[in-house]
Formats: sequence, structure tokens, C-alpha cells
Amino acid sequence: MTTEAVTTESPPSASDERLAYRGPIQRLLVQPEIGALVGAIAIWVFFWAVTVPFGTAGGTANWLDVAATLGIMAVAVAMLMIGGEFDLSAGAMTGATGILVIMLVKDTGELGGAGFSLWIGIPLSLVMALGIGWFNGTLVERTALPSFIVTLGAFFVIKGAKLGFAKLFFETIQVGRIDEGAGYDFWRKIFSSVWTRNDHIFNSRDTVYVGLLVIGGVAILIGLLELTYRRRTPFNSGGLPIAGIGVAAGLVGLFALHATDGISANFIWSVVMGAGVLIGAYGLALWRFEPNADRGTLQLPTDVLRSVGLGTGLVALGVVVGLILDSAEKIEDREIVNIFFLLTEQGLRAILFVGLAIAGLVVLLIAASKARKVSHTSGAVLSLYTALGVTALAFIIRSEAEATKFRTELFSTLLLAALVMATWAVVGLYFAQRRGPDAAADRLGRSLAIGGILLATLGVVVRLLFTTDSELATLVGLTQFRISILWFIIAAVVATWILARTRFGSWTFAVGGSKSASRQVGVPAARTKTQLFMIVAGAAWLVGMLLAFRLNTIQASTGDGKEFEYIIAAVVGGTLLTGGYGTAAGAAIGALIMAMSQQGIPFAGWNSDWRFVFLGSILLLAVLANNYIRKTAEAAS
Amino acid sequence: MSEPALLELEEISKQYGNIIALTGVTTLVNAGEVTCVLGDNGAGKSTFIKIIAGAHQQSEGTLKVEGEEVMFDSPRDALALGIATVYQDLAVVPLMSVWRNFFLGSEPTKRLGPFKWIDKQKASRIAKEEMGKMGIDIRDTEQAVGTLSGGERQSVAIARAAYFGAKVLILDEPTSALGVKQSGVVLKYILEARNRGLGVIFITHNPNHAWPVGDRFLILNRGKSMGNFAKDEITRDELIMMMAGGAELEELTKELESAAAGDESLAHLAEEFKEEVEVLEDRTQDDE
Repeated sequence: MTTEAVTTESPPSASDERLAYRGPIQRLLVQPEIGALVGAIAIWVFFWAVTVPFGTAGGTANWLDVAATLGIMAVAVAMLMIGGEFDLSAGAMTGATGILVIMLVKDTGELGGAGFSLWIGIPLSLVMALGIGWFNGTLVERTALPSFIVTLGAFFVIKGAKLGFAKLFFETIQVGRIDEGAGYDFWRKIFSSVWTRNDHIFNSRDTVYVGLLVIGGVAILIGLLELTYRRRTPFNSGGLPIAGIGVAAGLVGLFALHATDGISANFIWSVVMGAGVLIGAYGLALWRFEPNADRGTLQLPTDVLRSVGLGTGLVALGVVVGLILDSAEKIEDREIVNIFFLLTEQGLRAILFVGLAIAGLVVLLIAASKARKVSHTSGAVLSLYTALGVTALAFIIRSEAEATKFRTELFSTLLLAALVMATWAVVGLYFAQRRGPDAAADRLGRSLAIGGILLATLGVVVRLLFTTDSELATLVGLTQFRISILWFIIAAVVATWILARTRFGSWTFAVGGSKSASRQVGVPAARTKTQLFMIVAGAAWLVGMLLAFRLNTIQASTGDGKEFEYIIAAVVGGTLLTGGYGTAAGAAIGALIMAMSQQGIPFAGWNSDWRFVFLGSILLLAVLANNYIRKTAEAAS
Repeated sequence: MSEPALLELEEISKQYGNIIALTGVTTLVNAGEVTCVLGDNGAGKSTFIKIIAGAHQQSEGTLKVEGEEVMFDSPRDALALGIATVYQDLAVVPLMSVWRNFFLGSEPTKRLGPFKWIDKQKASRIAKEEMGKMGIDIRDTEQAVGTLSGGERQSVAIARAAYFGAKVLILDEPTSALGVKQSGVVLKYILEARNRGLGVIFITHNPNHAWPVGDRFLILNRGKSMGNFAKDEITRDELIMMMAGGAELEELTKELESAAAGDESLAHLAEEFKEEVEVLEDRTQDDE
């Protein structure tokens, strides 16, 4: 018997040539939640622009509250959908647990409640909810029927039972007064605390906010550079003094900008700051990255030129339309802009201007990316040209718009975007991008980017949670954050962790992706699925408690029909309907999108019936966008 | 060989009610050897696998694992004795990453108080190492298995079985769904597994895949054993004759040559095979 026959010394050292290197940024783009994140930002910007309260702390607290109850369910439903099943009884179950707990704690009347204290009623209702989840799961597993049918049955049973029991015991379809239960004061704090923030004065709030945003933004930018560009060995310390000069100029510009007032001073210091950022980024890149040997010459093929022309034309047309249409007919002092505003000349002007400008810039960006494939120089030149266009737009908006939020916040955001674009173009011109993995750079880049995102988020949180004296004087409504938002955050974080890091999470993906395969390798498929149904039921219980303690009285129909909203939120967040793919964070973002549109529409003064039109469109757009992004990101790289 | 064989089958038969699925099958599997089980569709290959893998019990005959007579009650029993089966569908989840698939169902965990989570670094590192031992350099273990080629997917399943303590590896038609080059790649993995000291049972209907890698051949036809031969007891053309309708020789020559082009270790196999094909062709011409 011979065993010496074949020897393979080393694994093939060159990786498979058919797999192009895919950088961390490309990999980020194929994450299932990216489409939803982009959509969420777009919708936020839209409602921020057309409504007054949306961007304020009070408005944010309002739509976050709506997002919370929806999001807790969406996160759980997403887990179940990743596991390959649906639960149509989830919506009805939220109302059912609320009614159940009230029935358990209500005084014993003639046919009234059971008279338990909340200390017993609340855990008991949880046990019963988990029981329903277990029943759903076991039935689906034992019968191998589609969960769609089984839980549809469960939905009708629960819906009927809610009505039936409510009428039987209370002779009404409104089951009320959880506050009669013993221990109400304690449990109200858990499920229905309200955190009023107007009296928390912090006058340097905006300084902290801007500071955190700037530090976070710089960290993200450096992180992205680390992730994208090829490191040189050894580092070239010649870049350090340049980077130092840049940072110094940037800081001087920033502080001076903060301290001075007046258009010409602002302009000068902005330029100083912008130049500082550019020089700093160049110095940093010089220090750490390999120079780009192949810059190429400026070449603009006809198709690129045509795109440039088209983009420029669109932007110019937008500006011309803005100038021609009369801006005299101004809407003064109107708090709420209703939907007919969009039909006025002023509204038309805004729509055309924004639409044409965005379309033009998108065309220009596409042209720049096309040009980059021809030569780095061409790409950089076109990126700079686009950045210039963005700057010009920022100044037009500043001179034309009436609302302060456009004149200051949008203006500075656009300028910063132009600056980042220019920086990226310059670094891209002079330095070489990575074509292979680099564990150390990936780690540093990722930590910087994540740290930056956290800092920026912290800045936003600070801004939302504190008031300044000057703001307090003009404030209309109260800023009240409900504890449901906290529960939502906890649910999203825990679910994300479970899916990403635990065995149960792995098994969830496995049973949804291929049940037979997971069985063969020893995954307890039936148990995993049953536990997923129980997680949904547990989430429904949590939402039921939140509703019961907030409303005190629950309608028998509460929650019915909401199950589709949960599914929509999960799908908008990138969860695959067929199972095996998705994230909890995506579902949470999906819930944010739905809550923003649900609350944004009344904020804008539009009839809230439009919400469903909006909802359906968002669902279709999100699914199309997810599909498109995944495909392009997988194809491109 | 003084040690008992890893797996020894003596006169194994299986009946389902009045249907005789398998009669009188005898063969053995040694450590570091490949035993090929050849047969056309309906020859009893699946029944044979199911008995060794513990999914069914034989009606007659004895099954010995390292000299000990055994009777499996469930696949778990077989697995506990180190007999792992890689089925045709591979038991991988295409949408999941390589490392998750590798450890699915047996994830290494870390623990802090009541919390237990997957030790991702460890899982990722081991998956990469084990795949490396099979000659595959997985650049990124986060890559979804669905994006791997068919042969690489096979190797994930084989490496997984080997890592989790398999002594005997049963491969159910690993080349049947693969293209020409990928089949060559899988044959290479079979040799890798053999070189690591595993006993391999390679089930196939293609004698041209079996011959280059096999040390022993069991030929089944309509539930009967047509013979159990060591490699030196049978020639290639005899083997092909015994199979119903052997596949095209030309195709395989090209197949192995192309596989050999990417891998030196296959080169001598390809050469050997090419010579044999020439001999076989000569003989056929002599007959004429």
C-alpha cells in the first residue's frame, strides 16, 4: 500500500484570480441594512426640510416613540423571518397581552378581573404570551404546515378571543384601568416613564455638539482613508509636518469661525479651515500611504463629457428656474406647510430647484466615477468640479432660502460635503488604493470609523437631550422622551448581538437558509424555530405592557393588522422574505423609516391618509434599492 | 498490516421487507487508503452508505470498526466512532459564511457569567487553517459559502468532517454534480484526506474518477457485490468492463491533465492515467 504518492507542499499561494479584492467599504455596501440607512437619511432630510417640528428635539422624541413600539416588534419579527418563518399573529398579540394583564389585575367584580397584583399579573401574562409563541412554533414544526397559515389561524383566534372576552367580562370592547392593579406605581416607571428634557439647560450644548461632530467626522474620514489606501513601509515622516500644518490651520479656522460673526470673517476662516483639512489629509496620506505611480493624464472621453454637460446643464437649469419663477410670493410666518404649498409657485420653484440640482449632481458624480476608470487625474478633476458645484449651490441656497435651518445648517452641511469630496479627490489623485487585504490597516480603519460614528451619535444625543436658555425662550412644546425608546434600543442591541455572536443566532440563519443542512450537522432546528416564535411572542408582550401602561385602557382591536407593518419594516431593513439573510439593526432602521413617515406627514400638515401611499412606495423602493445595491456591490468591487 | 482495519464489512446484506437491496457485500477500509464503491444507479450504493453511516441496520453480516463488531442504532453512533458522511447536498448553508458553516452546530464558545457567545476569532482561524490543510487558501472566512465554487464547497464539508474527528470519511458522489476541472480538484482533496491518515470511502458511478485515487475497489451491481479488489488485483480496463457502460476515457485524460496543470501533485497521476489509456487503446486495436 502506498501512501507516499501525492504530496502537496504548499497551498496555492496566489488567491483565486476570479475573486477580485473587495475592500471593507465595498463589503460594507453589501450589508443588508445599507439601503435602509440611505433611505432613512433621505426621508429624515425630506421631512426636516418640509416641516418645522421634525428636526427639533420634541419632534424627534415624538417619532422615536412611534418607532419604538413598532421597532421592538420589527426586530423580533426580523429574527423569525431570518429563521424562515412568519408570524401573522404578532400584531394581535400585542393588544392581547395588554388586555390580558388588565384582566388579571382588575378587581374581582361580578364577572370582572382576576384581582391579582401586577407583581403576579405581569409575569403571568409573559408566561401566557410565551405559551402562545410555543404553541405557534410547535404547531408549525409538528405539522410542517407553512407558518403563514398556522399563524393566520392563530391571528383570528386571538383577535376573536380579545373581542369575545372583553365583551363577556366587561361588556365593552375597551378594557381599562390598569392603574387599579397593586404595584402600579413601580411598574409604571418600568413601562411608561416619561423623561422631560426642557428643564435640562446646558448652554454650551451646541459647542459640544459641533465639537463631537467634527472629531467624529475626522475620525471617520481617517478611518475610511486607512481602509482604502495602501500603506507604505516604512512610513514617510516627511508627511508629518505637512499634516501638522494642516491640522493647525483647520483648528484655527474652526475656532475663529466659532468666535467671529460677520460674513467676510466667516468666509475667510472657512477658507482657512477648508485649506487646513485638505493639507492635513494630504500630509497624513503622505506619511502613511504609498504614492500613486499611475496618475494618468487628463482624458475625458465623449460619454464622460456628455455626462458632465448634462449634469452642469441640469444644475444650471435649476438655478435659472429658481431665478425666473417669482420669489416675491413668499409664505411668511407659516408654522406648518401643507401639501398645497407644493402646488404654489413658491413650492414649484423649490421642487424644481431641488430636483434639478440633485439630478445634476448625481449625473456629475457618475461622470466622475466613469472618469476615474479612465485615469486618476480625470476622476480627481471631475470630483473637484462637482465639489465646486456643491459649493455654488450652498451659496445660492444661502442667499435664496428664508428659513434659518436652510441658511445655516443646510449651507454648512453642503460646504462640508464639498470639502470632503475635494479631499477625497486630492488624496485619490496622489495616493494608491489598496488591492489586497491588510489586517492591521483594516482593524485601525474600522475602529476609527466606528469610533467616529459613535462620537457623532453622542453629539446628536447631547443636542437632543439638552436645551439652551435662548432656545427655552422660544420653545413651544415639551420635549418628552418615553422609556419605550430605551426598550427599543435594548431590543435592537440584544437582537443584533444574538444574531451576530451567539450559537442561537448562527442557528437562526442556518434554519432559515437551509433547514435540512442544519439538521444534518446537528443544529436543533425545531427547537430553534420554536424559540424564535417565543421571542416574537415575548416582544409582543413587552409592547403590550408598554401600551397598557401608557394608555391605561386597551381597545380590543389594538394591534390587529400591525403584523404587516412589522414585516414591512423587516423587509425594508434588508431581511430576505425567504429567510436566511438579514439583520436586526436593519429592521430597527426599517421601523425608524416607517415611524418617520407616519409622523412626518401630519407634521407637514398633510392628511394622514397619505401615509399608506407613502408606506407602500417606501416598501417598493426599499426592496428595489436593496436589490440594486446588493447586485452592483457584488458585481463591481 | 498488523493492526485491524478501520472498517471491515463481511457479507453485509440488507432487506427492506421483501425487497433485497444488498446481498453479500465484503470490503475493508484501512487508514490512509481510499476504498472506492462503484456502481450504477440502483446498484445499492445508497443502502451501503446508510448502513455504514448508521442510518439503517444491516439485516445480515458483520460490521467491524477497528476490529470491534458493532451495530449502529443511529447516525450519532457512527459519528461517535469517527465515521463521518459527506452527503451529496453537503449540508452547507449557502448564505452563511465559511467559518459559520464550518462550525455550524458545534461552535466554539466563550463564557462570561450567564452569557455565552461564539469565539469568532478562534472559529475563523481554525476554519482557515483546516481549509489550508486541504490546499485551499480562503482569503476571507466571512465569504458566503454560496460564492465558493462547487469543489471548494466540497472541501469545506470534507475539512469540517476531518476536523471534527472523522477517521472514516464517506463521500457520497462528490464529483457527480461537478464540472471537469472541479472534479479533478475534488479528487485531489480525497488524496489530501487520505494522506492525512483518514480512511476514505469514495462512492461514485464513474470508474475514471475512482481509478486514479482508489486503493481498493468494491463494485456493486443490482444489489450484489461484483467483487472487492485491491488495486494490484485488477486493471483499469477490467474495472471499466465491470461497470455498466464506462465513461469516455478521452474526457478523463483531458480532465486530469487540466487538473494536473494547476497542481504538480496530480501530474504523475495524469501521466500514469494517460499511459494506461494508451495501453487500453492498444489492446483494443490488437483485438481487432
